[in-house]
Amino acid sequence: MVLPSNVSEADFNAVLGEFRSAVGPSWVFSSDEDVALYRDSYSINWGEPEERVASAAVAPAKVEEVQQIVRIANRYRIPLYPISTGRNLTYGGSAPNMRGSVVVDLKRMNRILEVDEKRAFALVEPGVSYFDLYNHIRERNLKLMLDVPDPGWGSPMGNSLDHGAGYTMAAFRDHFASHCGMEVVTPDGELIRTGMGAVPNADSWQDFHYGAGPTVDGLFAQSNFGIVTKMGFWLMPMPEAFLSGSVTVPRHQDLEALVGEVSYLEDSGLTGMPQYGSPVGQAAFGPGAAAMASLMQNGWPSAEAIENFVAAQKRPAWSVQLYFYGPEETVRATWQAAKRRIGKAIAGATFQDGEFLTLPIPKEKEPAQSDKPRLGIPALEVFNMVARNAGNANDPSDGHADLFVTIPRKASALFESARVLYETYKELGLPARGNPFPTPFTYYSRCFWTGTTVPTWRDPEKNARSRAIFEKVINRCAEHGWVGYRTSPAFQDLLISKYSFNNHSLLRFQEKLKDSIDPNGIISPGRYGIWPASMRKSRA
Amino acid sequence: MVDRRSILKIGAATVAGALVKMPVFARNQSLTRAHVAFHRAVFDERFAECREFAAELHSAGVFPSAIRGDVAGLWYEDLRAHLRDTHLPAAGLTDRAALFCLEELARDVSMRVIFRADHLIDQNGQTKHTAVGPESLVAIASNLPRDAGFGRAVAVLFSQFDSNEPRDMAAQKRTGPFSPENKTALVSWLIA
Repeated sequence: MVLPSNVSEADFNAVLGEFRSAVGPSWVFSSDEDVALYRDSYSINWGEPEERVASAAVAPAKVEEVQQIVRIANRYRIPLYPISTGRNLTYGGSAPNMRGSVVVDLKRMNRILEVDEKRAFALVEPGVSYFDLYNHIRERNLKLMLDVPDPGWGSPMGNSLDHGAGYTMAAFRDHFASHCGMEVVTPDGELIRTGMGAVPNADSWQDFHYGAGPTVDGLFAQSNFGIVTKMGFWLMPMPEAFLSGSVTVPRHQDLEALVGEVSYLEDSGLTGMPQYGSPVGQAAFGPGAAAMASLMQNGWPSAEAIENFVAAQKRPAWSVQLYFYGPEETVRATWQAAKRRIGKAIAGATFQDGEFLTLPIPKEKEPAQSDKPRLGIPALEVFNMVARNAGNANDPSDGHADLFVTIPRKASALFESARVLYETYKELGLPARGNPFPTPFTYYSRCFWTGTTVPTWRDPEKNARSRAIFEKVINRCAEHGWVGYRTSPAFQDLLISKYSFNNHSLLRFQEKLKDSIDPNGIISPGRYGIWPASMRKSRA
Repeated sequence: MVDRRSILKIGAATVAGALVKMPVFARNQSLTRAHVAFHRAVFDERFAECREFAAELHSAGVFPSAIRGDVAGLWYEDLRAHLRDTHLPAAGLTDRAALFCLEELARDVSMRVIFRADHLIDQNGQTKHTAVGPESLVAIASNLPRDAGFGRAVAVLFSQFDSNEPRDMAAQKRTGPFSPENKTALVSWLIA
């Protein structure tokens, strides 16, 4: 058994006894085989002393039990790590940030408290998954669309608190931004509600998120200032129709103008999440492999060489898929407007009409949909889609760690970040990675994300190599001002160290809050670099 | 999805033949003497071995559930509630990704993978079996046939599962969801 640091076995057994009294003996898990269920399946420290494994887990069924757990933990100074569904793989999954913590598994708090069709919101507990909420809405024929991440087995609460994102319109796919109101157990066991939830008898908790005075909701995302036990979300009214269309532009230099036009459409609320692609770049995985190798043989090519290469490939340099949600008249008209604007701005742009669907999709037709998340349908298909790929070859990894860094929403930044990543891998003596045809992630509408993924294994030596790559990429990107928005616990201290303006004044402010709100440091010590005073390391 | 009716047809057509082809270790085992009340036999209907596994267990009275890769519908609309209520073990022959998802999901009902046998099928149809879990099952699994037909043999193997046999954690979280690109990676498993 792993124990929390500085806690004796006798005290820990006493704690477990008190937890059992609070939640019932069936809901405290301390055997090795039970605790092993909470290991992070994608851990980059698997089997090493640094692996962040739990000492035990406790599963409360109601808010009062969460309060009791927190008070018990405070008495014994036991670190707690709350999870909702704990399936945020690559970002820690169900494992704690600090070895020896007790996982507070909120799976039993799984009530959908309210879904209001007319006001388009839901109020849920932590253990409600996207599948649960989706099925609840569908079974009642409510005209609401969820925005779901992929895979969809997480919870709306957990995903939003970790700044996760989905695939539909910008206002909804930023899951934390679309929340409205939360209930939180603070580290001293107090219960607070934010926004209009703080007004007794108010019936507008999920209608207005600010209330009056400072808004504190953000303190509970990617942090350790409390355990969120209820959360409201604004939902998208079910659109009448869905339409997709694809655009290609011929030249490499056309991406800047394409990004400008697509951003105009998105910022105006006319399109959903765009998906950029590169037909030339994609061909490098097949018939164009030799040509791409030739282009890259002497290092990063010049702009002229890139344009000559594109012309020779006889494929468009870039593509973008656009998605429209709304009444049929509206989505068709918007697509026409998009074609007009892009066609006028970029010579040689081509357009192809895509799929048109009336919504909602009947249940019997759901399995045939190839891109379920864009239709608000949760799925786990992504695991099958990526399970076999060329990157795995004959030695498949066991997981991966992802670093998405935030860059400005412009082609020049995308090209520069691709070049830096390419050179970083080269410096590490690794096989060439990347080329001048990168495509950005567009989950958050106002920025691009780019980055890298490294494999994780059950093999410590391979994991050591992956960690070295990951750390190098974090450091190199940060030199250019490109820093990740989240990462796995193994790299959170390093990541947060890059947010260092004015001698880390942001983190120092967060630490002051931590010391005041959670003086015993019981909630998720170390999460996103926020350590209790007793565990704080000196900062270089 | 394969429904119960089509499984019955497959079962009727294949059970007799399966026993004839069964390796020596399993030939004398009667499928009707399944020791354990499995709640479910989960199988991926895209693979012949999986279909035969399900047909075999179905002939022993285990209810089969077909998937096509994605386990979400099965779990959220069916299996989760039943396992939460009964805590009876479930058996399966699927691809790795499906087991990976089910293993993560099974934590919600406090159940875990207690046995798994990875079956790596190469391009010549030869299968390498690697099993971890209760000793009695691992010992038998080492003799699973290397050619086609191991799905049926696994079903018979599972009928020998003794729920009172000591367990260890060797089968838990053994791999991720990924498979070699040029092989078919199936996995038989018990969740209890």
